[in-house]
Amino acid sequence: MTKRRVIGPTAWILGGAGLFIGAVAAWLVSQGNPGNMGLCIACFLRDIMGFFVGGSTNQAAVAYIRPEIIGIILGAMGAALVTREFRPRGGSQPIVRFVLGFIFMAGALIFLGCTVRAWLRLGGGDLSALWGVAGIVAGVIVGIVFLKRGFNMGRAKNLAKPLGWLLPAVGVAMLAFLLLSTYGAKPDWATVTPANGKAVVPGEVVVTTDGTVIKPTDAALVDGAVVAADGTVLADAEKVAATKPMPGGKRAPLWISLVAGLAIGVVAQRSRFCSIGGIRDAILVRRFDLLFGVVGLLIGATVVNMIFGQYNLGFTGQPVAHNDALGSFAAMTVATFAAILLGGCPFRQVIMGSEGDADSFMAVAGMLVGAGATHFFKLASSAAGLADIAWPALGVMAVVLVAVAVLGSRTTA
Amino acid sequence: MTELDVRGLSCPMPLMHTKKALESDPAEIVVHADSGTAKANVAALLADEGYTVTIEESGEEYRIKGVRA
Repeated sequence: MTKRRVIGPTAWILGGAGLFIGAVAAWLVSQGNPGNMGLCIACFLRDIMGFFVGGSTNQAAVAYIRPEIIGIILGAMGAALVTREFRPRGGSQPIVRFVLGFIFMAGALIFLGCTVRAWLRLGGGDLSALWGVAGIVAGVIVGIVFLKRGFNMGRAKNLAKPLGWLLPAVGVAMLAFLLLSTYGAKPDWATVTPANGKAVVPGEVVVTTDGTVIKPTDAALVDGAVVAADGTVLADAEKVAATKPMPGGKRAPLWISLVAGLAIGVVAQRSRFCSIGGIRDAILVRRFDLLFGVVGLLIGATVVNMIFGQYNLGFTGQPVAHNDALGSFAAMTVATFAAILLGGCPFRQVIMGSEGDADSFMAVAGMLVGAGATHFFKLASSAAGLADIAWPALGVMAVVLVAVAVLGSRTTA
Repeated sequence: MTELDVRGLSCPMPLMHTKKALESDPAEIVVHADSGTAKANVAALLADEGYTVTIEESGEEYRIKGVRA
């Protein structure tokens, strides 16, 4: 007699993992991270890219090596080593994976959040995230059409050991630059958004929320207005008060972010949490384990946001978000389609890269380069809405994705 | 006995292939996997489908065996 069960123990483990990650992410907002951005793989990789190349990619407002990412990499690596799941592997279409990572990032930065942050935005009461969530579902469905047609990128193979250490090595290098720029001297070529900095006049007048004038250096704050040494008012008090802090300057204390990232990395590696796999598996193979993960994430974030008074229900006035319904939907459809072809969300790519998967490292590299390019070409959205070239770019990316999906459909050898 | 090799495949291929192999309701199934994720996903699927699951680990792969309880 066959005993089938729809909800097994792994579903509850994933639900618990999602609950934990969502709760920690919302708590990180209370510790200083940007609103509904306690954790965002796309945004944080983008900020990291901003540190290295921000001076030439218009990323002054989003430049900081996010310790959460370093923690996630090292935590997942440690968990994989302890459980002997660290295996150097790769060789399954690395260049295509780079391109897919690049496209994922561009889509995420048009929506303003990755597939993890879409759920976290919803968990903060940001109903404009619903357009993105609808896009996630659409992207999954489009991806499934091609998976059913036989899309796959071939088999990865065991690789020479050093190749498995690519992402962990990058994580350690990022940690070194983070510590150097925080406790030592920031390299001249690097960009770091000032903590709690507000770009009152972008590139020219920058003050912090506690009233220090960072730029220009000879100006001072007088009755809330920024006044130059010669008495010229550079920005009136109203403008200073109305300017919101730059996202890159909003951050939890370094060690809190790092430890939180470590914990999230361990939990994600052990649970295999994925922000898109739940919907994919539910539709494709009628498995609901991973779905418990995102539901847990949503509940954890919602509850903790309510506890800390960060819950704000509505479509407008949401932190680091725009309410362009069609743009959000299309951007997330493109991003999720790319992630389905990759075999997992950006969070999973970071985790797998930390387990020795060189193909996932290539996807993460594509995301990093994609972030720099998205800002260089002024393709990223702002709270005001989509950039002018967002729609043509989404069209081009959709065409590339369909081409990859069609050309990659074959039977597994 | 049904045997299949999902080594090196990205998600959700290991699950899709295993699910397909289960359509013929084999009394015994062996799946070769090489990532922790594929191992966990396949083992959970087999357990939920009513198989008793054992996993043998070698340097190269995980051999996941399901026997109809």
